[in-house]
Amino acid sequence: MTAIVTTALSKRYPEVHALDGVSIRLEENRIHGLLGRNGAGKTTLMQLLTGQVFATSGEMQVLGGSPVENVDVLSQTVFIQESQKYPDTFRAVDVLRIAAGAYPHWDQAYADRLVAQYRLPVKRLVKKLSRGQLSAIGIVIGLAARAPLTFFDEPYLGLDAVARQMFFDDLLADYTEHPRTIVLSTHHIDEVANLLEHVVILDQGKVLLEADTDDLHDAAMSVSGRAQAVDAFLAGREVLERKALGTLATATFTPRDGDELAAREAGLELAPVSLQALFVHLTTANAASAAAADPDRAHDRAIV
Amino acid sequence: MRIRNVVQLHTVNRLQAFGWPLIIMMMSLTIVLIIGALVTGVGGDQAREGMNYGMQWNGAIFALLGPLIGFGFTAMGQYFPLALGLGLTRREFAAGTALVFAGNAAFYAVIVTIGKVIEVATGGFGLSVRFFDVFYTGIGEWWQTLIQTFLLILMVMLVGAAITTAFHRWGQSFLWFFWIALAIVVLAISAGLLLSEAFLAFSQDVAAMGWFPWMGVVAAFAVVGAAVWLALVRRAQAR
Repeated sequence: MTAIVTTALSKRYPEVHALDGVSIRLEENRIHGLLGRNGAGKTTLMQLLTGQVFATSGEMQVLGGSPVENVDVLSQTVFIQESQKYPDTFRAVDVLRIAAGAYPHWDQAYADRLVAQYRLPVKRLVKKLSRGQLSAIGIVIGLAARAPLTFFDEPYLGLDAVARQMFFDDLLADYTEHPRTIVLSTHHIDEVANLLEHVVILDQGKVLLEADTDDLHDAAMSVSGRAQAVDAFLAGREVLERKALGTLATATFTPRDGDELAAREAGLELAPVSLQALFVHLTTANAASAAAADPDRAHDRAIV
Repeated sequence: MRIRNVVQLHTVNRLQAFGWPLIIMMMSLTIVLIIGALVTGVGGDQAREGMNYGMQWNGAIFALLGPLIGFGFTAMGQYFPLALGLGLTRREFAAGTALVFAGNAAFYAVIVTIGKVIEVATGGFGLSVRFFDVFYTGIGEWWQTLIQTFLLILMVMLVGAAITTAFHRWGQSFLWFFWIALAIVVLAISAGLLLSEAFLAFSQDVAAMGWFPWMGVVAAFAVVGAAVWLALVRRAQAR
């Protein structure tokens, strides 16, 4: 079953086109990565899918219905956003108590365990918590809610590497035990690459790529060796990126059948490209093509 | 409808929701009692009588009413984003918050009324002071204080919520519009009072129109505040 379907979804603010004709399909009970540079539209998309903001145009179906003012959908959805605001007088324990009442699948014992694990000072006022401790509140809610549809928007800002790894481990362990649909927006792509089953890459409000991560393993390769041999190998092919150092060169390209043998015969080395590297290549190439298509806009961006 | 969750959102921190307003009220009352004791001890009966008359306009009760005025603003400014973040709908938030407004108004109106009854029965706590039995909460019968305080608190919370929601919707430009419009109204009334005998007479008639019409005015402001708030909150978005 499909958890989320959007068709030509757009959101325009007075000064920016945050989302522009986004059409995606996310299957249920999978971990989806929502990737994109700052301002790509990731948070806006999640806010639309949780009914927090209204779409300018387009359609969306979340768990079979529109999320806007829909109790059936929203009671099965948890959205942990890094910019979540809390009342000044609230302590962490107050937020957790409300969350316990708001989510029908809430697991209090698990929440208590997570609070201890992330060393969250629950009696302290939220406004006096560090950035990492604020993130910990979101992580506890997002995991303990056990909502059938869980959105995490940069959930670990301010967390140290140990706590981040702890979150990834907890997420995977709990997801395995209680399968649900998880949408994870992140900048730490390499850290979550092994968790993700499907990714959507947004850039400048548009979908740049939507694919299963298994398929992406074959989407790009890197080839390295003597520059002349590399160029000959890549002649007439789509090259995502090329770097040269003296007589040596490395390039990222879209592979096809027979490449392995051809590279070996040319004395070149082939290696898979990480998800993060692919992301960087795709978004950089998209920015370059946008700049070529609209030099004035590119000039404006350069000035900014 | 998950109204219970919204009510919990506003009342989960009992000390903040109920404790501090009552503690601040008691502190303010204590200061008034100390002033009363000093005036009575130093000035005698004449001073006591003058103090009792003057304290009809004693604003110390705003130590309690003030935080409640702020509650209307924070309900939309601070609680609404969290409610949306927790997956509550705007309709649920509005219904639950309106219930909390009414509950708060009723709770504190009863507190003020009980205080007034005790104050009147004991001759201003034996010191001829006025804290509850004042112009703002009603100097008539106890039931008038109950109704007046309830309507007053409800009105300021609804108007506060409406103003914050409008700010949420239109941002700083709304505040400019609001304050300029308010300044123009105040200026026009002041000018009318100073420059027009007819307007002055009309104003005096309005001021003396009696308790029931005035309660109608307060209720009308509450209804307008509620209508604006509910209309805007249905289209309010996360910021």
